[in-house]
Amino acid sequence: MAEKADVWQGTLALMVLRTLETMGPQHGYGLARRIEQTSDQLLALNYGTLYPALLRLEQEGFIRSRWGSSDNNRRAKFYELTEAGHRQGKKAIAEWEQATEILARFLRPAAEA
Amino acid sequence: MPNLARRFRAICSRFAGLLHMDHGNDDFTAELESHVAMDVDDGIRTGLAPDEARRQALIRLGGLEQTRQTFRERRSLPWVEILIRDVRYGLRGLAKNPGFTTVAVLTLALGIGVTSTIFAVADAALLRSWPAAEPERLVRIVANTPQGPDDLFSYPESQDLAAQGKSLEGVLAYSRHSAILHTASESRQLVDEVVSPNYFSLLGTDPKLGPRFLAAAKNHERIVVISNAVWQRFFGADPRLVGKQISLTGRSFTVIGIAPPGFRGLMPFVPVELWLPLTTWGGENDRGSRDFELLGRLRPGVTAAEARAEIDTIGRRMAQDYPALNRGRTVSIVSERQRLREAAAPTLLMMIAVGMVLLICCANVAGLILARSDGRRKEIAMRLALGATRARLIRQLLTESVLLAAGSAALGLLLAVFLFRLQPALMPPSKVALGLDLHLDATLILFTTVSSMLAVLIFGLSPALQATRVDYVAALKRGETGADRSRRRVTLRNALVVVEIALAATLLTASGLVLRSLLASRRIDLGFDRQRDFVFFDMEPNLVAGYTPARTAAFFDEVETRTAALPGVKHAGLAQRVLLSETEGAVSKRVSIPGVQLPQDQPTIPVKFNAVDGNYFQAMGTRILEGRAFAITDSGTALKVAVISRNMANRFWPGGSALGRQIVVDGTACIVVGVAEDAKINGPREDPEPYLYLPFAQWPSNHASLIVDGGADSRALIAAERIVFQSADHNVPYEVRTIGYLMRQSFWSDQTLVGFVGTLGMLAIFLGAIGLYGVIAFIVNRRTREIGIRMAFGAERRNIVQLMLRQGLALAGIGACVGLVASLLTTRFLASVLYGVKPTDPLSFAASAIFVVLVALAACWIPARRAASVDPMQALRVE
Repeated sequence: MAEKADVWQGTLALMVLRTLETMGPQHGYGLARRIEQTSDQLLALNYGTLYPALLRLEQEGFIRSRWGSSDNNRRAKFYELTEAGHRQGKKAIAEWEQATEILARFLRPAAEA
Repeated sequence: MPNLARRFRAICSRFAGLLHMDHGNDDFTAELESHVAMDVDDGIRTGLAPDEARRQALIRLGGLEQTRQTFRERRSLPWVEILIRDVRYGLRGLAKNPGFTTVAVLTLALGIGVTSTIFAVADAALLRSWPAAEPERLVRIVANTPQGPDDLFSYPESQDLAAQGKSLEGVLAYSRHSAILHTASESRQLVDEVVSPNYFSLLGTDPKLGPRFLAAAKNHERIVVISNAVWQRFFGADPRLVGKQISLTGRSFTVIGIAPPGFRGLMPFVPVELWLPLTTWGGENDRGSRDFELLGRLRPGVTAAEARAEIDTIGRRMAQDYPALNRGRTVSIVSERQRLREAAAPTLLMMIAVGMVLLICCANVAGLILARSDGRRKEIAMRLALGATRARLIRQLLTESVLLAAGSAALGLLLAVFLFRLQPALMPPSKVALGLDLHLDATLILFTTVSSMLAVLIFGLSPALQATRVDYVAALKRGETGADRSRRRVTLRNALVVVEIALAATLLTASGLVLRSLLASRRIDLGFDRQRDFVFFDMEPNLVAGYTPARTAAFFDEVETRTAALPGVKHAGLAQRVLLSETEGAVSKRVSIPGVQLPQDQPTIPVKFNAVDGNYFQAMGTRILEGRAFAITDSGTALKVAVISRNMANRFWPGGSALGRQIVVDGTACIVVGVAEDAKINGPREDPEPYLYLPFAQWPSNHASLIVDGGADSRALIAAERIVFQSADHNVPYEVRTIGYLMRQSFWSDQTLVGFVGTLGMLAIFLGAIGLYGVIAFIVNRRTREIGIRMAFGAERRNIVQLMLRQGLALAGIGACVGLVASLLTTRFLASVLYGVKPTDPLSFAASAIFVVLVALAACWIPARRAASVDPMQALRVE
């Protein structure tokens, strides 16, 4: 089994926003599974750490939650993006792309530089 | 910055999370349950056994409890939660110990309340912004004469100073008087200032009022500015009052404006209610009538020294130009602010004194906390051993102190407001309202908060530091720590307690002395029947136009006759002045006595006098010892007669009768027809002196007092009398005084002294008792083991109580002795205010000492009893 990467500080929020953006309203368990799948199982995600991140996003007004029922007819709390959440998602993606772009320049083999 | 807004939103939401803690936790538990259930469902679907599926789900989650914990920390604010927990813990601890809590809160509340009260007084008297714009540029113009300093000028002089003084922007003049405000229902005497037209504009109190007053005053219009308080009280804050006429002392004036709220004139203690321009008052052109105090405003940039030099030059010029009035008179200036500050210096001294009281209160409470935390030493050591940090424990102990201080501050503010309410009762009785504008405001609350938090640092920090500075291994093993270090502290605290008790003994001795003095002066024979329910009506027809002597006499006659006919009125008499009035009784006549050598061969001597009618003596209950009182036959045209006081009779006709003798009063020969008992003219403590009664009809006055003995219901009498005055002439102003008012006025200083010294004494003994209690309680805690051993060896409870009481009484005894010696040294300064009791009065000294010892006994009794209830087995097992 390949060694899994820890979730970097601050990236979890972005992953949540992005996942909600593509999937629509989703409950915590679904989000955790989806993030794990998207990362091709490369990410070691303690599902539990997702909840404080969700709470924080909710406190900041980027997502909102309500109780509903899941595909298997279980009661679950669903999260969805707010208007501000959509904007924040776009903004964060732009920032992140810029950051990786910059880092990428440093990480290119020295000969190319 | 949207980011900040987000963060703020998150914090608000976390605070909200605090409030809905339980609900939020339940909600999250449900969410986790559903999470795990879904995970287990998926696991079973992939073929796992239910148990194994659940195990793996929990592993993936990272533990239920850990998840809950991180969630909870994010959900609300952990430090606030800890704070709330500390507060709850503190409140619980305080509630568990109601005796300690009550005593500590009361002690602190007393200290804080008294400090806040004096602060409010200082604030009102001095710190609160003075009612002028840029007060630092205001200077008072003063004069020095060979006879001494003089602050009064005439209006022409003030105009000279304003015109010639280039360093001054202007000079304002004001003079205090009193006027009678007539409203539809009553006539009320108010303090007024007669002021120069530029008064408001130079002070800069109100940008609109100043110019309006200036213009109207220069036009010689009859105008008045009324205070906000009068506007509220007498005119119901009627917004249409400006422009209307009101009646002052029988003349009508147009209200031109209302002074801004809080503007009370230029003296802190005498609130001014009316401002009248001197142009309508007259006398403004007479250079000789020096009635005005002057304030100048320095031009911007001019220093006081420059202005002083210039004013000095103008003063010299005046002395040359008007030698008759100004010879030897120099003029100078002083900073008004500095002058006020110096005048309020006693308040600052009081501020320091109450600061000391607060410090003593803090020291006492620190002692109480120490005694208490000493008992908690084990608990603290245990918690330290279990890994609590010292900072955490200190924070917890301090939280408790802050709670104490907060409760005390609230109670202290209540006490301060209560004391504000007492102010009118503490002021000398007077016809006009005196006193400072004291009320609860933001400044006071801020001061109280800050001072109580400082108090926390003093009384809370040191015990908290000390209680947590524990060698916990030793403490757990032996229940004992740092004995040497704390012994020194105990000695310091013992000394403090001795000082407190000595102070209390001194103050209580002084209280005893002034109380005995008050009781003695209460028994003085005043020369009239003080048991009667007198009401005095001071009538002033002289203030109403058109009152000729004949009309005045007819008016007095009519009022007196109608009053005598009122139901319930037993006596009614008329006099020019009433006895015991501090100033009014001082007027005298020049008297010579044919055939009697006067002191130092003077042709005449001044004798105080009163003009009274025939009913006076009977109405007052002043006994005629010889001869007769005045009769209706002693009319203006009849033979001039006089009644003299016994002292006068004995002095000039010793051994013989004065009846039928002739005296010459202001050049008029009178026959003595009666001798009356000596009466107190100005104050109850004065020695008898010659006094002269003259018939009112023969020595008429344009003002007089109607003396009525109308039975117990003086309010009904005053109401009935109002109708009498209205039908006689409703324009004549009159003031009402009752015998109660007169007595309060006469004994005011004695009573105030008793109240003041007595209160201080009680405060001191209370603090001393608390201090003593703290020390003994501390000792009892420290010696629990020793007591246990003693009891195990057969000591009885009685012996233990005695042991502890002896310790307390030793301190109290030393304190009382020191206090009595201090009293011996200091009470002689009271000699001048004492009456009928010596400054070394043994009864006062003994009573004070006994009282102090009894209170000390009571203070020690509680911890001593606790010491005696120690269970020897338990005390020893603690080992």
